[in-house]
Amino acid sequence: MDYLDYVQMTKGQRAVYRVTSFFKGIPGALVHFFQLVGFFIKKFFVWVGNGFKGYGSRFSKGDAGTKLSFLIMGVGNMAHKQIGKGLIFLAAEVGYIYFMCVFGMNYLSKLYSIGVQIDDAGTMVDGAIGSQRALYTKNLLGVESISNLDTLDNSNQVLLYAVLTLIVTVAFFALYIANTKSSFAAQELIAAGKKPISFVQEAKSFLDERFHVTLLTLPVLLLMVFTVLPIVFTIFMAFTNYDKEHQPPGSLYWWVGFDNFADVFYANPMKSETFGKILIWTLVWAVFATFTNYIFGIILALMINKKDIKLKAFWRTMFVITAAVPQFVTLLLMRLLLGDNTGLNAMWGTSYPFLSDALWARITVIVVNMWVGIPYTMLITSGLLMNIPEDLYESARIDGANAFQQFTKITFPYIFFVTTPYLITTFVGNINNFNVIYFLTSGGPSPSNYYQAGQTDLLVTWLYKLTVNSSDFNLAAVIGIIVFIICALGSLITFNMSKASKNEEEFS
Amino acid sequence: MTNTQSKSDMQTGYAAKRKLANIVVYIILSVMVVIWIFPIIWLILQSLRGEKGISTKYLIPHQITFDNYVTLFTDERFPFGQWFVNTLLVAIFSCIISTLFILMISYAFSRLRFKSRKTFLNFGLILGMFPGFMSMAATYNIMEVFGLKQSLVALVIVYSAGAGLGYQVAKGFFDTIPRSLDEAAKIDGATRNQIFWQIILPLSKPIIVYTALTTFIGPWADYIFVSYFMKDNSEKYTVAYGLYKMLENQTINDYFTVFCAGAVVIAIPITILFVVMQRFYVAGVTGGAVKG
Amino acid sequence: MVSKSKKIVALVLTAMMAATSLAGCATGSTTTSSTAPAASTAESTGSTETVSAVDVDSDEVMTQIKDAIAQEAQENGGKVSLKVWCSGDDLAFEKTLIEEFSTKYADSRYEFDIRAKGSIGEDSAGGKIIESPKDGADVFNFADDQLSSLVEAKAIAKVADLFNENVKKNNTADAVEVCSQNGIAYAFPKTSDNGYFLYYDKRIFKDESAVASFDDMIKTANDAGKSVYFNLGNGWYSTGVFFTAGCTVEYKDGKQTATYNTPEGLSAAKAMCHLAENIGKGFVGTAGSSGDNATVQQGFASGEFAAAVIGTWMGPAIKDAIGEENVGAAKLPTVLMDGEQKQLHSFGGYKIIGVNAFSKFPTTAQALAYFLSTKDSQVKRYETRGLIPTNSEALEDSKIKEDPALKAITAQREFAHPQGSSVGGKYWASNIAGFGGEIVTAKGKLTDAELEKKLNDLVTQFEG
Repeated sequence: MDYLDYVQMTKGQRAVYRVTSFFKGIPGALVHFFQLVGFFIKKFFVWVGNGFKGYGSRFSKGDAGTKLSFLIMGVGNMAHKQIGKGLIFLAAEVGYIYFMCVFGMNYLSKLYSIGVQIDDAGTMVDGAIGSQRALYTKNLLGVESISNLDTLDNSNQVLLYAVLTLIVTVAFFALYIANTKSSFAAQELIAAGKKPISFVQEAKSFLDERFHVTLLTLPVLLLMVFTVLPIVFTIFMAFTNYDKEHQPPGSLYWWVGFDNFADVFYANPMKSETFGKILIWTLVWAVFATFTNYIFGIILALMINKKDIKLKAFWRTMFVITAAVPQFVTLLLMRLLLGDNTGLNAMWGTSYPFLSDALWARITVIVVNMWVGIPYTMLITSGLLMNIPEDLYESARIDGANAFQQFTKITFPYIFFVTTPYLITTFVGNINNFNVIYFLTSGGPSPSNYYQAGQTDLLVTWLYKLTVNSSDFNLAAVIGIIVFIICALGSLITFNMSKASKNEEEFS
Repeated sequence: MTNTQSKSDMQTGYAAKRKLANIVVYIILSVMVVIWIFPIIWLILQSLRGEKGISTKYLIPHQITFDNYVTLFTDERFPFGQWFVNTLLVAIFSCIISTLFILMISYAFSRLRFKSRKTFLNFGLILGMFPGFMSMAATYNIMEVFGLKQSLVALVIVYSAGAGLGYQVAKGFFDTIPRSLDEAAKIDGATRNQIFWQIILPLSKPIIVYTALTTFIGPWADYIFVSYFMKDNSEKYTVAYGLYKMLENQTINDYFTVFCAGAVVIAIPITILFVVMQRFYVAGVTGGAVKG
Repeated sequence: MVSKSKKIVALVLTAMMAATSLAGCATGSTTTSSTAPAASTAESTGSTETVSAVDVDSDEVMTQIKDAIAQEAQENGGKVSLKVWCSGDDLAFEKTLIEEFSTKYADSRYEFDIRAKGSIGEDSAGGKIIESPKDGADVFNFADDQLSSLVEAKAIAKVADLFNENVKKNNTADAVEVCSQNGIAYAFPKTSDNGYFLYYDKRIFKDESAVASFDDMIKTANDAGKSVYFNLGNGWYSTGVFFTAGCTVEYKDGKQTATYNTPEGLSAAKAMCHLAENIGKGFVGTAGSSGDNATVQQGFASGEFAAAVIGTWMGPAIKDAIGEENVGAAKLPTVLMDGEQKQLHSFGGYKIIGVNAFSKFPTTAQALAYFLSTKDSQVKRYETRGLIPTNSEALEDSKIKEDPALKAITAQREFAHPQGSSVGGKYWASNIAGFGGEIVTAKGKLTDAELEKKLNDLVTQFEG
């Protein structure tokens, strides 16, 4: 199909064409995705290489001040009349060295297998993260207590602080490179006969040319400390034996390599079977939960927005109310409404196993999820429906299209196209849909061949249970990483495809 | 049968068909509304029920009373009033901070061009794909380092720090504001700082309302972080976790109706807020595809 | 490299030990360096100088305890801050006891700040303490089966001899036994009723013979349009059926064994199926999400239940529902197993009080835990909360002795198995609850082969 064919199509046909090409594009997008990954890896190494090159050339071309700034940060800037900036760099270096001496080195050194824990028999356990030996004292009453409470290592603490030190080190390294660059830039400015930028000018630039720095610093800093740091920490946890039997401070944990991953994938039959079943159910659930809500939501919106239907605002509000009530309330309520001996069963005097039989429970959660989600889709698509130009339908009617054909040829393609990004986020959101499952069934029913999970558990609720109920922190971390990989793969592929469809857009 | 006759027949037939179709739609809509509203009605009825216990064999309580609402605010074991205040505080602060952060981040990514922009964007995308609560154990330890363990401030920080990752929607909105506005202002000598505050933000009312709405509602419904962060510290619970606690095995019989009362109390303001603000919500989700 | 670092660590450790012993001498206390609470009897070197076990309430000991509390207060800014965890139901009552403690041990040198929290109940306290001892309560109430993992995690403090001698003297031998591991005492006994028996409605079942077997009971109840409740979908109860069949269930040295994948295990499973076949016809056993306490209260209140297998904690609620005069209590009925009626076995557990090993106020915490477990406290607990004491004298009290619940517990005792030495580690973490739940959902219609497979899966879970 070339450009000419495309422009000759009606709007509806164009939309259909886009949708079909979207699906045709999936295999291509997969290939593209892997090419992209390769490209990024290549780019990264080129970037590192260039970094070294630039670093070396700055050193060889730098004057005495710049050269000195490779060792003592800020000296170069000070030598080039940027006293304020130089002092800040210097302070950063002094601060970093101080930080490493009193704090960082200590924890970093304990990170790799050199900590010791002394077990009950008095022998040393190799490889624990951190080291400890509790010393017990007794007072006159014979009450025993630990006298070195404050100096006892805790693997969690060691790991956390070590990760913190690593992040600080990376940040410091970036600052260090910036210092050499800044000094070199000032040197070149002077060489070119210009005045180096003054401190005040520099400060002012943060409201204009470098306004992005001002805007991003605080949010990124908080994100680093409260999101990135914990995630890195948790990823490390996946490679340790931090489980029920190794809980610091009582007993430390240590590195076990890829053992936990092996357990989940093949080594431990119970865990790997549970994982397989939960993974499949998670995907089935995500597909059903997403599309049932989506399709029925659109149908509901169509009904409410049908031309001759009166009281549109009333119908809409009725449904919006249920969407507005906080989810945990409605879901906990549903749990009781559908309980074995409560709610509907009590009123009807029956005992339908809505939530206690595997198949029933799976259907129930999908149906209840429709109850929760359809109003949202209705709300969103209602607005979109009004945006479809009326003349499209008019011309379709003249061509003799019936209501169903109008829906499949015009309405649905239009809505589908506009809401594709929403659909993707909903799909990823459903993979991670903690609320519906946890509040409704808590993952149950739990048969005997599932490890710490039930037949309606999703990967995320399993993760939660592993953390909270059985303290299998290492396994939970592994599941977290797997969920991440699934979401990342899915999103990157669809992202690539929507990029491809965007290119399509360009010629319309 | 003449031609004209058959035409009018057709017309009446068409009209009758349309009428029938409308009646069918009305019936379907009514049935659906009943299904959708029934649990809400049940909730309200249960909150007015005088009899104790999880459920009754009848729909309408034999004893209608407001005692559950009184208990809700006077009970010592479940200090709902305290929880409500906690949630309100956390919601207000995290709403202000998160909205600011989201606007700052999305403005920077949408309107400003700088060297590491792409890297940051990808980084944000990747971070957003880790399950939110996967690292809560670590976050808890970090809070302890800052001396914020089991405090409401910790909750505000967790909600706001994570909110920064939700910049896509607002960025999509900023992308739709014509760049010529910025250019014109720049020629007039405005700095980017001034453009942000004086030109872009006043144009962004829908997205500000949307962001504020979602970030304000968030803390009212969060269960996971509160349950892990506050542990036994029941006076620092927020409503979601506090109410959940009422439904534990030991207390559910005595407190189920009180739970319903609590649910009604928090559902009312949020529902009103949501219904009033719904068009902003729609505008936000569809990234401006709908003109509110 | 590694060995060098090890040497350094060893050196530092030695130095630290030396330093602490010096510090210990300076403050007048003696030091032992046992490596873990679980370790050894070798610490007797240290205990020779401690106060020999005498009555805690004697003036001499009282002064010494106050001195010790004062010292702990001094080390922590003049204030004794303790946190206590108990069940939410007991919170109000335990607060009154804590009030009494504060008055009894009041002294001008310190002030008490003891907060009781009802948000972590006895079923989960142990796990929460292990998870993060620093955030945990100083004194916590828990069910005896959590003791082994607490000891493994070194999260619970040993009971000082002074208190332990008194505990041993005043409580029943069984109660003292469950508070210790490998001969070392770690906890204070509180109540002896963490087990289950039968509560029934006397209007339906006229005498004890009417509640002798499940089959008869179900028939009687069904004829009256009511049901008998036994929660097969909860591992705590269903394990009783396995005990009945003669399965060995043992938890020792961190290892769980349970011979469910044997002919006996199958017999137990089939007996459960036999009961479950009556679901909807006079028998109720939940598999779903609502818990048994709530179900029982609801069941009696709505007149649906005629009898239920449950424990003392539901006594007050059942009395409220059907009137005290109609409440009967008896040992568990028999179940049909391999063609004959067999007495149903059960867990007979205790609720006990522990002290956090990482507490900053170990002496105060132990004194408080001891106080909460004394005879007076136990009697008051019985009067207010209906919980059966462990104190031998209290059990002789005429009012308590005549308690129908206590009689039922005593009658069941011979078929009750101690929880702590039977189950631990991964037992509850396995899907033992799910096993019964599946039987309930299937209404007992499962083939032998299906049951055998499920039993095998179960065993893999808690052994693997």
